[in-house]
Amino acid sequence: MTISERPSAQRFRFTRAVYEAGVVELGYAFDEGPELIERISFPGAPESVPEGRGVAFARALALLHGIAGVSYYKALLPPEIIVDGEPFDAALAALLEQVYLHGLGEFAHENHLDLRGRIHFPAGPAAHAASELGLPRRALVPIGGGKDSLVSVELLRQAGEPFAVTWVGRSELIRACAVATGQPMLAIGRELAPELFELNRQGAWNGHIPVTAINSAILVCAALLYGYDAIVFSNEASASVGNLEHGGIEVNHQWSKGLVFENALAEYIDAHIAADLRYYSLLRPLSELAVAQRFAGLTRYHALFSSCNRNFRLLGERPSARWCGQCPKCRFVFLALAPFLAKPALLAIFGRNLLDEPEQIEGFEALAEFGAAKPFECVGEGRESRAAFARLAERADWREDVVVRHYAEAIAPAIAPPPDIATLLAPHGSHRIPERLWALLA
Amino acid sequence: MVQCVNHLATDRSPVVDPSTPFVVLKFGGTSVSRRHRWENIAHLMRERLAAGQAVVTVVSALSGVTDALKAIAALHRDAAAMAAAAEALIERHRSFAGELGLDPEILEARAGRLRQLVADPRAPEGGHAWQARLMAEGELCSSTLGAHFLRSLGLDVEWLDARDYLTSREQPIQTEWMRYHSAQCEPRPSAAVREALLARARAFITQGFIAREGRGRTVLLGRGGSDTSASYFGALLGACRVEIWTDVPGMFSANPKLVPDARLLRRLDYDEAQEIATTGAKVLHPRAIGPVRETRVPLWIKDTERPALAGTEIVPEALQAAPSVKAVSLRNRITLVSMESIGMWQQVGFLADVFAIFKRHGLSVDLIGSAETNVTVSLDPSDNLLDAGVLEALCGDLAQVCRVKVIAPCAAVTLVGRGMRAMMHRLGELLAEVGARRVHLVSQSSNNLNLTFVIDEADADGIVPMLHAALVRARLTGADGDPVFGPSWQAIAGEEAPRLQRWWEERQRELLKLAAREPTPFYVYSGQTVAARAERLNALSAVDRRFYAIKANPHPEILRALAAAGFGMECVSAGELAHVQATLPELPPERILFTPNFAPRAEYVAALAAGVHLTVDNLSILADWPELFAGRPILLRLDLGRGLGHHDKVRTGGEKSKFGIAAGDLGEALALAHTAGARVVGLHAHLGSGILDIAHWKAVHGELAALAERVPSVAVIDIGGGLGVPNEPGELPLSMAALDAALTEVKALYPRFELWIEPGRYLVAEAGVVLTRVTQVKRKGQTRFVGVDAGMHTLIRPALYEAWHEIVHLAALAEPGQERVQVVGPICESGDVLGEDRLLPPCNEDDVLLIANAGAYGAAMASRYNLRGLPVEVYRDDL
Repeated sequence: MTISERPSAQRFRFTRAVYEAGVVELGYAFDEGPELIERISFPGAPESVPEGRGVAFARALALLHGIAGVSYYKALLPPEIIVDGEPFDAALAALLEQVYLHGLGEFAHENHLDLRGRIHFPAGPAAHAASELGLPRRALVPIGGGKDSLVSVELLRQAGEPFAVTWVGRSELIRACAVATGQPMLAIGRELAPELFELNRQGAWNGHIPVTAINSAILVCAALLYGYDAIVFSNEASASVGNLEHGGIEVNHQWSKGLVFENALAEYIDAHIAADLRYYSLLRPLSELAVAQRFAGLTRYHALFSSCNRNFRLLGERPSARWCGQCPKCRFVFLALAPFLAKPALLAIFGRNLLDEPEQIEGFEALAEFGAAKPFECVGEGRESRAAFARLAERADWREDVVVRHYAEAIAPAIAPPPDIATLLAPHGSHRIPERLWALLA
Repeated sequence: MVQCVNHLATDRSPVVDPSTPFVVLKFGGTSVSRRHRWENIAHLMRERLAAGQAVVTVVSALSGVTDALKAIAALHRDAAAMAAAAEALIERHRSFAGELGLDPEILEARAGRLRQLVADPRAPEGGHAWQARLMAEGELCSSTLGAHFLRSLGLDVEWLDARDYLTSREQPIQTEWMRYHSAQCEPRPSAAVREALLARARAFITQGFIAREGRGRTVLLGRGGSDTSASYFGALLGACRVEIWTDVPGMFSANPKLVPDARLLRRLDYDEAQEIATTGAKVLHPRAIGPVRETRVPLWIKDTERPALAGTEIVPEALQAAPSVKAVSLRNRITLVSMESIGMWQQVGFLADVFAIFKRHGLSVDLIGSAETNVTVSLDPSDNLLDAGVLEALCGDLAQVCRVKVIAPCAAVTLVGRGMRAMMHRLGELLAEVGARRVHLVSQSSNNLNLTFVIDEADADGIVPMLHAALVRARLTGADGDPVFGPSWQAIAGEEAPRLQRWWEERQRELLKLAAREPTPFYVYSGQTVAARAERLNALSAVDRRFYAIKANPHPEILRALAAAGFGMECVSAGELAHVQATLPELPPERILFTPNFAPRAEYVAALAAGVHLTVDNLSILADWPELFAGRPILLRLDLGRGLGHHDKVRTGGEKSKFGIAAGDLGEALALAHTAGARVVGLHAHLGSGILDIAHWKAVHGELAALAERVPSVAVIDIGGGLGVPNEPGELPLSMAALDAALTEVKALYPRFELWIEPGRYLVAEAGVVLTRVTQVKRKGQTRFVGVDAGMHTLIRPALYEAWHEIVHLAALAEPGQERVQVVGPICESGDVLGEDRLLPPCNEDDVLLIANAGAYGAAMASRYNLRGLPVEVYRDDL
């Protein structure tokens, strides 16, 4: 058996986007090929869009259609992009060009591609300004089964904010975390067009896509359908930091979790979808370490959550069913929690001691940005890892562990002293958090 | 009120004989939360009263109530929330009173007390004394309800306040928390208390979990406190026995959830029971044993649902039997503290100083191992240890006197049995199993009661079933005729495998005829059994493709039968590939999967030329022979790092370790495949063989899917083979419906992937038997040998894997066995034993024996060793 040539196409078409009875259908096509249909289902949503929100929803749907297209576009990267119906408004076209170019930054780097100058969305006229829709005051909080969103959940609860937790796609693990929050839950279904898998099998381009951007657009639709006036993500400061530069563009694995995207989307929503729908990240001014510190106290989630980049969706009782122990995410979460938890409590979460395994040295060096680039993962900055290491090297219960010793003996002497951990815990930097919630972080 | 009427209706004897023996019964939360359970309690009390005994019944709070009270205590700063939660709890009890047919007003006093407590001025502070007093209400309420209900049934029951009888004592190192939440009493047998009680009545109900401290304040007895209360009452009253009624039949030789064939332990002495309770068994809190041990009161564990079952008796002297391992248990989350320093042990008082540091931090040391320059101790996973700062501070202090290293998380595997050292020589297999893991500490106490290994927690998966099986094989646990061991858990739970009718039992005469025709030893394959197994696998709706692993049995007729049933063929060598192509010339290459391991390059070339699916299980061939894989779809075989594979030493040294690419190297493998121009279309993992545990399949399927999801080109997940076949009598067969449900569940979470399986043994093992003739018999000392013409050259599995194959006397299937014999072959190897200690009817020269479950890896692995020739194989589709 041999594999066929990589499939190709001249044009990527946005064919249609419709909402009916709780289901959004998004249509795409390559050239004159069959339509690829993605379905997003909103359980218990109204049959048709609630009155007064029709215009806003149409724009939200266009936003979703545009952003979700990135999964398909990137498969063949045709030179031309066409919108079959009404073109995207000018602001949206500009936003989409950003999302596609930067959101596919890692993809381009990994596939040795240069996408600059390749992505052009035909722009229609400017959209009219959005009005206030009188959305009920309650928030949608997306959770992913990891520590960050659970920290947000607890902050909002503490502030007495009304909110529901939500997630996209099926996952027993996320559901278990959602149940543990005790908040109302909204599980949104998403089915990619099966033809995309077929294209992948035939050797289409593949790689990282800006999934947070897609989920954000899905939640904008959800907010209008169910009536929520805020979408609260849990992205931290470090998400805005790039991993490396590729062809003159900073490549950031988590670009759609960064502040640039957050600002761009929030401004577009405010200007063209709904003036009373806020989109922000509650943890934006926090470092990964500050989030880890807060999560350390949330013991009720410790046996449930997973930030491992193997997408574990099954519920497993054993730590090995939630943590592979071999990826940068496992290493970073382990390291970031270590300064804030009793050692046995941390080891109970992971079922093993990653810092006492010699084969992990290289992986931890990469986290500390020592001799290697920051890995393409949603992990904290190098200085955060270094600060955590410096703290552990002082602790008698950690300092004999092989990786900690390696830090003390081989890394620390070769680098500038990292900042004290305490200085990394204070909120800093730009954010879009409403005034009334700011006190939660300060 | 109902209670008064019934009070009068009882035949209360005015004077009770002061020598009346007491029995203490204890019932937990689930046993007191339903009406029919209370009726059962009444029945059990009556039985004992009728036997001339006096009864004290100790009860826990209703299910969930202690947690609810704990939650109320946690709300101590929020008076309104506390009050609301208290009302909900009162309502729960009132409604249960209704269910019991009682007037809810009987609870008014208790409800009033609860309301008082949440409104108590001490509440906002949430102090331990207040918390303990609040928590005590659970048992006070349940016992009040119980007293009224029992009286309504006509039992003359007196309600006792347990706090009037149990007084806690000060502990040497006692925090406030311990004083109120984990109190200990030291009741002495008291004739005065006995007499005072007998002067009042013969039946009593009281509370578990609660006592009073010296100044009269309510204290709690901690986890498992109700068992401890029962034990205290047993000691106080010099009872003839304490019966702990619970929802399991007793203590087992291993956790029945992990080991379904674990055996009920009928009788243990206090020390053994204490050891088992401390090292893992959850059925009885270890604290409950001390008080009855002191006073030599027997303690019975009884199953509420199975009152007729004997349960476990814990008594001063165990049954006299040969030394045996009573139980194997596992404790996770053990922390080791290793202290290293040169020559320090010579210093007088050094160890005392070290242990003083542990004491200062409130940590109690469990196991100890020492060498000239190292002392290592273990700490149990106490709440204290999980407090941020405690271990850190301990290590900081220890670091002043030695080099200290924390080794965690560890698991302690303990074998319990009196006379452990006398059994050491029979622990060979078990020690090999343990030794394949990272062992950090071994401990054996001089009382010769236990043997504990502390290993890496990550290596502890599956170790209990493995060790239990090794103990059974060594006849150290559950040996025939050992009175300590009762029925197995699965027998008690009615989950014991039904005795399956084997095809060869029905075909006895035809097989005997065959044996008269063919020269023995030879194999017979039942085509109908192969077809039946294929049908079962075809019924798995979650599975998209099935490949038969032909290495199990490449007999051409079997290949044809399975190909006709829709199976593809999985080959591991060019020879197998050629055999499949010759046998099944019509089979398209896409129904063939080539999964070699360390095969020479030419075999890959041949397979690629044939255009079959190819699985690569080595990074270096992707790097070294990229031109071979250019333009090819490939599957990658991964080692998921489960169980033993996780361990480096085993990975490089163990026999399983040469397979697969470490899951952590997947990224590198993808990069190499990319560079070579190959496309990774599938991920494969083989889990091992003989796996009967559905959860294991589900977990591995889920893990593989989680990995595969990051590789967009992957369309196929291949979970390999390893479907278990019940081997020994009593093993439950794998439920195909349950397996399908589990796989379907995972598939729904990861809908993108096709699911492939590659069973071998499952399809053919049961279909094949060896027929062999008795050559000669021999008696040597106590051992009797039955020699047969089959041997390790015919069937090597017993010698190679210590596999157990059933052996029967074919002409005398219905005859009971008379003698235990060694069934041996004619090969000049001491390992040529086909069956050890088999109970067979008398065997004579030329009698035909049948060796069952030999269809897989039987003839396929036969050899010409000793030039005895290869066995003939007979395939019959009419059998």
